[in-house]
Amino acid sequence: MHTSNTDRQEQELLELLKDYPAPEATAGFYDQALIRATHEGSRRQRNRWLITGFGSAVAAGLVLWLIGGLFLTAPNLPTHDASIPGIAMTLEEPRTVNLVFASAAALDSATLTVTLPEGIELAGFPGRREIAWQTSLVEGKNLLPLELVALTPAGGEVLARLEHNNRNRTFRLRVDVS
Amino acid sequence: MPSSFGTGAFQVARLRVIMSSDANKQTFEKLVRPHFDRLYRLAFRLTGRRAEAEDLFQDLLIKAFGNLDDLVAIDAPGSWLSRVMYNLFIDQRRRLARSRMHTVEEGFLPAEGLDGFPGDQDPVRDNQRLEQLRSLDLALAKLSDEHRIVVLLHDTEGYKIDEIHELTGTPVGTVKSRLHRARARLREILTDDGTFS
Repeated sequence: MHTSNTDRQEQELLELLKDYPAPEATAGFYDQALIRATHEGSRRQRNRWLITGFGSAVAAGLVLWLIGGLFLTAPNLPTHDASIPGIAMTLEEPRTVNLVFASAAALDSATLTVTLPEGIELAGFPGRREIAWQTSLVEGKNLLPLELVALTPAGGEVLARLEHNNRNRTFRLRVDVS
Repeated sequence: MPSSFGTGAFQVARLRVIMSSDANKQTFEKLVRPHFDRLYRLAFRLTGRRAEAEDLFQDLLIKAFGNLDDLVAIDAPGSWLSRVMYNLFIDQRRRLARSRMHTVEEGFLPAEGLDGFPGDQDPVRDNQRLEQLRSLDLALAKLSDEHRIVVLLHDTEGYKIDEIHELTGTPVGTVKSRLHRARARLREILTDDGTFS
């Protein structure tokens, strides 16, 4: 009885797994991926732009400035769109946004993850929607320049998440494209 | 004149480089494009997220193009590409293993694949099936990467045990064991949540 029930469940499971769908690639994705790979792949240098001395004070709280007219003191994640700082970009024109993290103390082995909306790319990382790396922070100000390029007018939110010792802070930057 | 000769020689040399580059691109595309759909599905099965799958797919192409000489010399580029993708995935996971967090709110498999659920002519049956698939999705998220990947590759994508062994470098016996345990764990979870009676 037990065996037949197990067999029946196994059969149900196999049928379910067989039906478990996967999304198809979005239109044009393959072509874009090919172009990026052949035009820029061999020149890609993941670490070229990494900021040495980039630090974290996650436990102590963070201050994020967006240099270039924006100022934000944001130890906590903004929850409403109105509170999210924004920049305006022109289609296909690179723009550098400098993020400055102020840290009260030096800290090693922090992880920074930048997540990009579709249509916004980070220079040097074609086609990537998420870039993550480990780094350390120095005491004081730590600069992270992000050179963004808008490939579509959709815009969206750029997220910069800093993690250390199972604690994290996420900062949002709204990007409007014209 | 020396100056114009020099310019002409430079242009010829540059043109050769461009032609060579174009030939490389054509060769590359011819080798990889037939495998795109399978590789994309593999990327999605490995990562469980569309955005991560697309990043992984892109990383694979960039790496493969950088190793075009190797790719050209390979008899079965599809298998080679799959292995490179798997290794890239493992490298990324290892790199982030210590720092990356998946909270309950974020989930791990956000059911993006269910958008592709085709359904049939019966909306009631479709709805029931979709609910079952959602339960499966949640159950899969509770498995370890090793178990999830093996069961998805074998039972969903139709890879043979030997193919998974070739792809992952995992011994055949271990693949079988993981498959058995993954199924058992899924049955257990789906029974507990009432999906299976």
